[in-house]
Amino acid sequence: MSRVLLGGSIRRCFLHTGQVLKAEESVATVSKLSKDQLKKRELRRMAQRKAAAKRPASDHPLYMPISKALRFLRAAEVGQPSSQQTLNLTTLIVAERGVPALSGSVSFPRPIKETKIAVFSDDEGQLKTVAEQFNCHLLGGSSLIEKIKNGDIPVDFDKAFATPEIVPALTSQLARVLGPRGVLPTVKKGTVAPDITPLVKQSLGSMPFRQQGNCISIAVGKCSFADGQILENIIATQEAYKEALVNQKSKKSSMLGKTTLSSTHGPGIVIDFA
Amino acid sequence: MSSVKKQLEFLNKISYNTKKAQIFVNSEKVTGLKLLFQWQNHDGHMGARKFWHEYLPTLQYYNPALKIDLLRLKNDKRDVEVPCKIEILGRESKILDTINMQYKKDNEIMDDLLLKLDHEVVPQDQLVKV
Repeated sequence: MSRVLLGGSIRRCFLHTGQVLKAEESVATVSKLSKDQLKKRELRRMAQRKAAAKRPASDHPLYMPISKALRFLRAAEVGQPSSQQTLNLTTLIVAERGVPALSGSVSFPRPIKETKIAVFSDDEGQLKTVAEQFNCHLLGGSSLIEKIKNGDIPVDFDKAFATPEIVPALTSQLARVLGPRGVLPTVKKGTVAPDITPLVKQSLGSMPFRQQGNCISIAVGKCSFADGQILENIIATQEAYKEALVNQKSKKSSMLGKTTLSSTHGPGIVIDFA
Repeated sequence: MSSVKKQLEFLNKISYNTKKAQIFVNSEKVTGLKLLFQWQNHDGHMGARKFWHEYLPTLQYYNPALKIDLLRLKNDKRDVEVPCKIEILGRESKILDTINMQYKKDNEIMDDLLLKLDHEVVPQDQLVKV
């Protein structure tokens, strides 16, 4: 019995060494490429990606005009809960190594969801103006900070703005509550200013985007929206992307590649985005 | 769903390959369909779920104005009797007809629906193939 076990263990050991040897061989073949060859391969791949990005979208087998694509996506989403029927736009970005990620924000003519806003200020006049112009969820000064700190008011807002004089109190008392949720007003984020009104106006209906890997994905609407509204949102997205490309701080600018419109349960359909 | 071939199959299933559901519903008489069944398959509710996945996308594709509402009720403990039915709605949400889907297969449900719906088959030249 012990011999059989011994034999078994030896066999397993040989197999293991065999796998290790194979792995070492593959590593050796990878490292055989010299630096020049690796660089050439990188350049070749970049040229291929650029050529693919320059090709017209209509060449792709999954290309469709937007109206036809929306008809298919609505059919694919039939019977699904309306909260899940989101339309997504995914754009490939062709960028060279070292180029910073593309980012910015889109201001949608038809926002996807109502954003709840909180405004912190000790200036009564400002609070009054903001309350008159916008539908704010929470408005207040030091007393509001106290209430949120004690847990009397839940943190259920999506964006927060503040005037500079209240920022130290906010940071010292609510940084641990608002910070992890990403709603703490800071100068760096651009959510603190002496005059809040233009800030709120800018950010209402705007959606931030950022390149993740080699693509940007953003929700542009719901299946219940009319074709025109979705089209307006797509055009706004296109303009925002182009603006982000212009403002990109790099010598070599990125390129927009294949763009796909898809829904939560539906297929991805290539559209003309250039 | 990354493969182009798979996506083309998915699109063609909606617009070309599901023959029974390729109909134009008379929109002057019928304005919508309302389906009610269980989240779970027991008590003969599986056919309804399959009918939803197999035939409703094609029906919606060729009738974009047809309002299709679907309500699925959760019945984990099997303590409630959930109806399994389709209601055909007319003008002003008036119920024109009701079809029982319990213990029926998806194709049988589609056959029953075709019998009760005022419709015409989509002509061959108007079918969309991707």
